Amino acid sequence: MAEEVILKVTHLSKSFGGLIATNNVNYEMMRGELSAIIGPNGAGKSTFFNLLTGYHKVDSGEVRYKGRDITNWPPHRIVQLGISRAFQVSNIYPALTTYENIRQAILAQQKRILSFFTPAERLAKQETEELLQTAGLSEHADLLAGNLSQGDKKRLELAISLGSRPDLVFLDEPTAGMSREETQQTMKLVERLNREMGLTILFTEHDMSVVFGYARRLTVLHQGTIIAQGTPEEVRANETAQKIYLGEEA
Amino acid sequence: MKRYWWLGLIFIIGLILPRLVGEFWVHVAVEILILGLFAVSFNMIFGYMGQLSFGHAAYYGVGAYATGLLMVKASLPLPVGLVASMAAAGICALIIGYFCVRLTGIYFAILTLAFGQMLYYIIFQWYSFTGGDNGLQGINPPELLFSATAYYYFTLCVVTAALIVMWYISRSPFGYTMRSIRENADRTRFIGINVRRYMLINFVVAAMFAGLAGGLWGPFNRSVAPDLCNWHQSGIPVFMAVIGGPMGFLGPMIGSVIYIFLMAFVTGFTQYWPLVIGSIIIFVVLFMPGGVLGLAEARTKWFGSRRMEEGVDEPR
Amino acid sequence: MDISLLFAQFMSGLARGMMFFLIASGLSLIFGVMNILNFAHATLWLAGAYFCYTFWHLMQDYGFALWVSIALASLVMAAVGWVIEVVLLRRVYERKLPEQLLLTYGLILVLGDLIKLTFGVEDKVIVRPPLVAGPVFLFDIPFDSYFVFVLLVGVSVAAGLWWFLKKTKYGHIVRAAVFSREMVSALGIRIPRIYTGVFVLGVFIAGLAGAVQAPVGSITLGMDMAVVVQAFCVVVIGGFGSLLGTFVGAMIVGEVYSFSILFWPEGALVLIFVVTAFILIVRPWGLFGTPMRT
Repeated sequence: MAEEVILKVTHLSKSFGGLIATNNVNYEMMRGELSAIIGPNGAGKSTFFNLLTGYHKVDSGEVRYKGRDITNWPPHRIVQLGISRAFQVSNIYPALTTYENIRQAILAQQKRILSFFTPAERLAKQETEELLQTAGLSEHADLLAGNLSQGDKKRLELAISLGSRPDLVFLDEPTAGMSREETQQTMKLVERLNREMGLTILFTEHDMSVVFGYARRLTVLHQGTIIAQGTPEEVRANETAQKIYLGEEA
Repeated sequence: MKRYWWLGLIFIIGLILPRLVGEFWVHVAVEILILGLFAVSFNMIFGYMGQLSFGHAAYYGVGAYATGLLMVKASLPLPVGLVASMAAAGICALIIGYFCVRLTGIYFAILTLAFGQMLYYIIFQWYSFTGGDNGLQGINPPELLFSATAYYYFTLCVVTAALIVMWYISRSPFGYTMRSIRENADRTRFIGINVRRYMLINFVVAAMFAGLAGGLWGPFNRSVAPDLCNWHQSGIPVFMAVIGGPMGFLGPMIGSVIYIFLMAFVTGFTQYWPLVIGSIIIFVVLFMPGGVLGLAEARTKWFGSRRMEEGVDEPR
Repeated sequence: MDISLLFAQFMSGLARGMMFFLIASGLSLIFGVMNILNFAHATLWLAGAYFCYTFWHLMQDYGFALWVSIALASLVMAAVGWVIEVVLLRRVYERKLPEQLLLTYGLILVLGDLIKLTFGVEDKVIVRPPLVAGPVFLFDIPFDSYFVFVLLVGVSVAAGLWWFLKKTKYGHIVRAAVFSREMVSALGIRIPRIYTGVFVLGVFIAGLAGAVQAPVGSITLGMDMAVVVQAFCVVVIGGFGSLLGTFVGAMIVGEVYSFSILFWPEGALVLIFVVTAFILIVRPWGLFGTPMRT
């Protein structure tokens, strides 16, 4: 895979009222990375994702995707470029079935949503079923998404974010609320997506075994500032990181 | 297809209705159809997209005036009037909707209400063009459709066709996009959909069908008045959708049947119709939140296993 | 266009604005705290006017008839408000917006007809006591002396609400609830009690406004319809839940109407909706509302 900087964040800052959520953050991602951002609660991980995906406006700084300046672009345009996001709290369509949830993302990506007269049932069947299977949700296809278990909702969340055929995906706590087994399954899937399909993935996690087991690069965020970066071993050895975060975890 | 056999039955009943009942009830049937179309168009915004528009009558009224004016002042035929009604309503909705889709919830409701009232007062005051509060008189249907029965059949055809079109739209990817905006507008943005733009498109399409309904009303009533635009008129499709059940495509039509039928019946022996319908609304809101359809779904297994535990009151 | 004409219009707008302030302050309070837009607010206002007439009619031989009637009518409406809240309104607090709006909309219809049933269809006219029957003169321009009374009531209500909200413990709780229901509830204060109290207070003011309005012109059925949407405009322009906002909004609505009568009579009401739409588009939470509520 060619070495390409797919995401470049420079001097990103954001505060809410008096609270500094993101403090002059510089961050880079190469295509094909599988990296994680960690930090205590309130460190600014979700805000970081929000700024990158157009959910919040930045106070200052720049976000470049494949060289293009996408700072402050509205979310739908950013997604259309190839960035996608799975939310921390499952952000799905509760009154639609699992199948319909995924199909909606695929139809959006295929730009078929302005179609007025073709019944949606006939469209995107194959793609939807494939994605259902990839996410391990085939058996729940006809269940209303609101009735899924927490873990399944998270997986649906992941599947929806993949429906837009992204090149870069942000996963906000992808295994939150999952059992050991589900966590394994989900992270194996994430790894497969990264390795076989070349998806660049950045995720946040509180589960350290997940982080150290799967992330190839780690960034530690604290009060909106990056305080450590590197391979998991490097970060583990970093004293500041230990004190601020890993020490609390133990 | 099997599930819809009862629709065919209703249509057949509709076809032979004038043979079964007197002229008064044929009139009532036309009213049910026209207002039912109005209410179903409203439900595109309410039930499917999840927003409460309290100014939908603006497009109904504009449609009524468009057809009325073209027929009375320019002597154009009714079909031309109907097309013009849809266009006029659509244009108004494009302008008004551009602003309204920037808001949601109560603010959307009030802004649509405000624009509706604006249109009402404009029509009311523009005496030279619209006839002001006297309205427009003498809107006569073409000779072919002059009798109540003939106009009934015409309305039945137009409304059925319009409903079929709206039905297809509701089943299309666009319709599902509306549901997804209703369910989770944020998520919809994050799958790459420009939510505002699609809300506007839906708003305009819904308005066009409301305009069509208004266009049908003028010749039926032989006149139009500014009241067709005000917030009371806007409340009618809301009632119908809620009484019939906003979760099903035909819910508002069912609501129209109930509302108009009741009104025709009750006003026959009392002047306190507002008391009756107000009480019914309160009752339905408190005890039957899914409307008639909601009740039907709870009692039968027609809709199969696709029910959420808490109860769903939105169209799937 | 001379000064006295402008001044007369200004005062007329002031009077109208004061009336709208009285009607809208309860509406704004109720929406600000309970997030419920009480469509029936103007109908309750009208009921207050009718009750005032009824009491006055019973006591009309006495000089104090009007004043006592106003007080009695307001209290009766407070009781009506209490019944409505307990029996109907509290069932929809947890429901979604359309259901809440429809409930209060249904109330307009029911209450409107109940008023018709109870008080009949003829216009009601209250004969004012001599104190407020004649004109007063300001800069040699005659003004309705009753208007002075209306002004006094309006200012008193404003002052009273201000004092209540800023200086009493209950008022502080109510203001906190406008900002965050959860916080207030977490502090152990029972939200349902607050809601009942706020609604009753809101309807009391509406009833008072109606009773005060009663001797102006005549009382007719359907007055509520003419007024309710404009009351919404007042609240939208000024900002939900803000006392100052309601006052400013009412003045704006009153003066816009009054002055456009001079320059563009047909457009008077259109203009009010234009202003309302403008505020909603540019600043949905109103001039003095809190952005958090959007």
